Amino acid sequence: MVRPFIRRTASFLSLMAVLVTVIPTSPGEETAKQLSSVLKSENAENGFSQQPAPIADDHAFLRRVYVDLIGRIPTLDEIRAFEKLDATTRRAEIVEKLLESERFADTWTVFYADMLRLRSNADGGSAAIAWVHKAVRENTPYDQLAYRFISANGKAGATPEVGFILGDNADPMALAGATAQVFMGIRVACAQCHDHPFDKWTQKDFYSLAAYFGKTRRMETRFTNTIYTTDTSQSTVLWPPEGMSDDAERKPLKPQFLFTLAKSSDAEYIQRLDRLRDSLVSSTDSQPKGPSVDDILSALDDKVDKAARGGRENSFDVASEAKRDARRLKINAGMASESELRSELADLVTDPRNTYFSRAFVNRVWGHLIGRGIVEPVDDFSESNPPTHPKTLNFLAEEFVASGYDLKSLIRTIIASEPYQRAHARGVDEATQAELEEAFAATAARRMPSEVIYDSIVTAGHLFEVKHAAGQNLRVMWQQSRVAKEMEEAEAVVEDRSLAAGNSEPKMEMKAKTPDGRPSYNLESAIELDFDSVLKKSQSAGQESVSIEKMQVMSREELEAMRMQQEDQERRNVEFIDRFVKTTVDDNPKFSSSFRMASPAAPEHFLRVFGQTDRTQLGEHRDNSPSMRQALMMLNGRLTHEASRVGSLEPVHQLLIGENADPQAAVQLAYQEILTRLPTAEEQAEALTIVNEGNSQLEGMADLRWLLLNCDEFRFLP
Amino acid sequence: MSGLEHQMSRRAMIGGMAAGATFLGFPLRQLLAMEGTSHAPKAEHVILFWNGGGMSHIDTWDPKPGRPTQGEFEAIETSVPGIQLSEIFPNLAKQMHHCSLIRSIAGTQGAHGRATYNLQTSYNQSGNLIHPGFGSIVTHEKEKMGDLPAYVSISGRAPRAGYLGQSCEAYFVGGPGDKDPYLSFPEGITQERGNARLDRLARFNKRFATGNRNEALKATQTSINDAVRLMRSPALQAFELDKVPTATLNRYGDTAFGRGALVAKQLVETGVRFVQVNRGGFDTHSQNFPAMRNHGEVMDPALASLIEDLAESGKLEKTLVIMLSEFGRTPRINMNAGRDHYPAVFSCFVAGGGTAAGQVIGSSDENGEQPDQRPVQVADLHATFCHALGIDPEKEVITRLARPMKLVDGGEVVSELFA
Repeated sequence: MVRPFIRRTASFLSLMAVLVTVIPTSPGEETAKQLSSVLKSENAENGFSQQPAPIADDHAFLRRVYVDLIGRIPTLDEIRAFEKLDATTRRAEIVEKLLESERFADTWTVFYADMLRLRSNADGGSAAIAWVHKAVRENTPYDQLAYRFISANGKAGATPEVGFILGDNADPMALAGATAQVFMGIRVACAQCHDHPFDKWTQKDFYSLAAYFGKTRRMETRFTNTIYTTDTSQSTVLWPPEGMSDDAERKPLKPQFLFTLAKSSDAEYIQRLDRLRDSLVSSTDSQPKGPSVDDILSALDDKVDKAARGGRENSFDVASEAKRDARRLKINAGMASESELRSELADLVTDPRNTYFSRAFVNRVWGHLIGRGIVEPVDDFSESNPPTHPKTLNFLAEEFVASGYDLKSLIRTIIASEPYQRAHARGVDEATQAELEEAFAATAARRMPSEVIYDSIVTAGHLFEVKHAAGQNLRVMWQQSRVAKEMEEAEAVVEDRSLAAGNSEPKMEMKAKTPDGRPSYNLESAIELDFDSVLKKSQSAGQESVSIEKMQVMSREELEAMRMQQEDQERRNVEFIDRFVKTTVDDNPKFSSSFRMASPAAPEHFLRVFGQTDRTQLGEHRDNSPSMRQALMMLNGRLTHEASRVGSLEPVHQLLIGENADPQAAVQLAYQEILTRLPTAEEQAEALTIVNEGNSQLEGMADLRWLLLNCDEFRFLP
Repeated sequence: MSGLEHQMSRRAMIGGMAAGATFLGFPLRQLLAMEGTSHAPKAEHVILFWNGGGMSHIDTWDPKPGRPTQGEFEAIETSVPGIQLSEIFPNLAKQMHHCSLIRSIAGTQGAHGRATYNLQTSYNQSGNLIHPGFGSIVTHEKEKMGDLPAYVSISGRAPRAGYLGQSCEAYFVGGPGDKDPYLSFPEGITQERGNARLDRLARFNKRFATGNRNEALKATQTSINDAVRLMRSPALQAFELDKVPTATLNRYGDTAFGRGALVAKQLVETGVRFVQVNRGGFDTHSQNFPAMRNHGEVMDPALASLIEDLAESGKLEKTLVIMLSEFGRTPRINMNAGRDHYPAVFSCFVAGGGTAAGQVIGSSDENGEQPDQRPVQVADLHATFCHALGIDPEKEVITRLARPMKLVDGGEVVSELFA
């Protein structure tokens, strides 16, 4: 038997400490070498005999790792800092540096949010995303993360991990499908209605898996609208399925896992994991705690007090409703922080002997970094869809388990390996190129994900900070306000149309005109969230946990209600007159990181147009293929336009204006900032012509930068 | 009904590619459907009004005068003797001789998400597969006409294209009549400068493509070419309403919905295949009647004027106009003077596109609770709409994972609609 999991007693921070001390100077390099050679021999076994593409040059590597690890291209300063490092060790050094960056957590939070289908506007969704962010930052072992998501019970927000269960409304069927597919790459969901057509899973397998979720309920207290999950004594998962026999004959089904785990756990990689964990047990005995029933009840009391003092409802109702709520909580006193059945399931899913669990995850990370999974689609492991390189996959999976399910160590290994570092296939025919790419002996074209494109444009265009001196972008705006006629004299109500219904989807919906009549580009905005405060506020368990999520992204119904209300108001018999107010604003744009905005974004937002999914559909992955809408947003959008314009506070400005002007250097700077490389001689001459042909060199430079941001080389990784 | 039968027929299709499945180039199914109706498909365009939230059938298309479920609205006579509508449609009633109603849709889904998915795609929602909406199917099957996108969604989101691919997704228009900022160069960029940028961009990308070969690069260039063609097209005028006389705007009722209907009309006149006009607020769990009266005031002038104008110009014959919602609402009126979700029976409005006019297909029972005459399944609706356009609803497309999927999830053509 595997010894009882240490996750219950271990502190993850100390796990990190151990890893850091145990692993020698160039972490991951040795494993990466082994990985490269496993792949090589597997390719040879497959009869692959082509000459692999060479290793990509340093700048191509640099651009890749910035994109993959921190979600944007490097700045000029970062390029220079890299160039100063020792050429023999700098690849490993830069990876270490980026892994510790705050943006690493931001970037890989989106990876997890996609995988787990976490949505800011779902019950407990924002808190779940914030919790993942914290987990990535602290490098919480992946099995621990999965364990918590599968087993947690508690209140939306206060127990952030229940966001996963609540995301599927605690529905046993949906959760069985999601758990198998997301964590193990097993598409068992088809077996809900019939035995799986291309695989071994039967309908009964599916129902037996669903039975682990059968006692879990999504609860909503009537008065306080508190949403939580809990376990009851009755299972809702009955066999045979509905309609297949009399209801009287349908009986609760005993939970059973999809397969039996190997008896023995003496595999070498599991022994390594055990040794790692042994060393942890002796070094810590802290215990992670979920919220207790008392916590929840006291939170409830607060709410009752508050509502009784200032709420609109009459206080008698408040008190009795709340008591009823509270009683129900007590009755359902399975309000422990874990569900018993789901803990059992989580143990099985995350067991080191469950190779589906480790292989599914390393395959997903591999697919993310390399562009194509060893199994593709990355969550479709089945007999009819075997891995192209099973030994490589197993090697990665075992190393991942032995590392204590350490995401950073996995990333390190893949990035240091040959398949990640190879250049594109050049100068070969199409068939050979395909063969090379399938053997992971050449890097296939990979378009940057939507958030990366967004943040890279912001980075290259110096738009994270204001780049124009104050007063340089003054704009006279005629602001149109609607004033109710009878109110006008009293000046009591001024209804500002720019804040009215059209903009109600928090600044994301396309509202065609701004108050001054210009078209608006709200589809390109990004409002940053502070994950720490989301988490803190949720866990303080007050009214905020509900309201903060509602504030961030309103549900479709709410938006519709607002729109209707607005339309009604316009139609009411109140007469309005339009008033125009002249205002002058300094339009000095500044953008935020798209990795931290509420997600998924509004349906037509830049991020969605470039492939972010709505995270509702199981098995839906990002579609990074081009569309006309993408082209229009890049050609004519505000983001590329503002990134191209030259601001007086930007370095390039000095190279174009004044006595020290050096247009040649300005061109080189533009290439480095946007494409992470210097121009060739031919490109240099061409770019200089473009700069000189502008109405001014500043405009010419804007043209050049617009071109570089729009060209294919920008969005496809080197 | 039997699953075995279904499996066998599917296997036959895959295996032998059903040697007999087409005859004289016509899919067998289509011939069968046409048999007895002598109907050749006439519809070239579709305008779909999507009323999100679940619109009460009793308060609109299927009034129940004198019954306890009637509610606050009277039934009124229309231009077709014997057909009554709710009083909230006084103008549309005068156009009834151009329109038909289906009053016996038997839905199965009572939650917004699943029902919307079902009504918009004919399929039930399931993991791992996104089924295309009707608009995407039309875009996939009918050749694009002119510069404008084949499929436009106004005031909201259309269903996804799923396995039909990005090119069958709807082009999105936020506020009808408003200028799309993404269709012209950014502020301060003259035509000359913008065009020079585009020429240079083509050169940059061409050079990049010579050293890098992949399908995505070609597709990117195509998407840019499409975008530029659209930006430069005179047909873009069809998105705008600034040349429409105020009298016309008012006749449609100067609301977002009315402007949507007008833009939809202009778009189909310019060659757009499919326009979906979205409107919500039909989820009237409380205060159903004032809400529905408001909806009537907004929808009635717009829909009536659209039908009238299309009929007058002769375009109605080629344009299938549909108004659809994800389900109906309970005949019973609840404690909050509202009606709740009700999929068991509801109605839809159809006009033009070669469909029979002045007809009522099927009926609900006397209280509007269950289908009575001629129940129509959701998939039947889709098969019927496809048929109007000459699209074979049983045609199979292959998904990315090599799974064959029919355009419509079964369903029989409602042939009375083509009588």
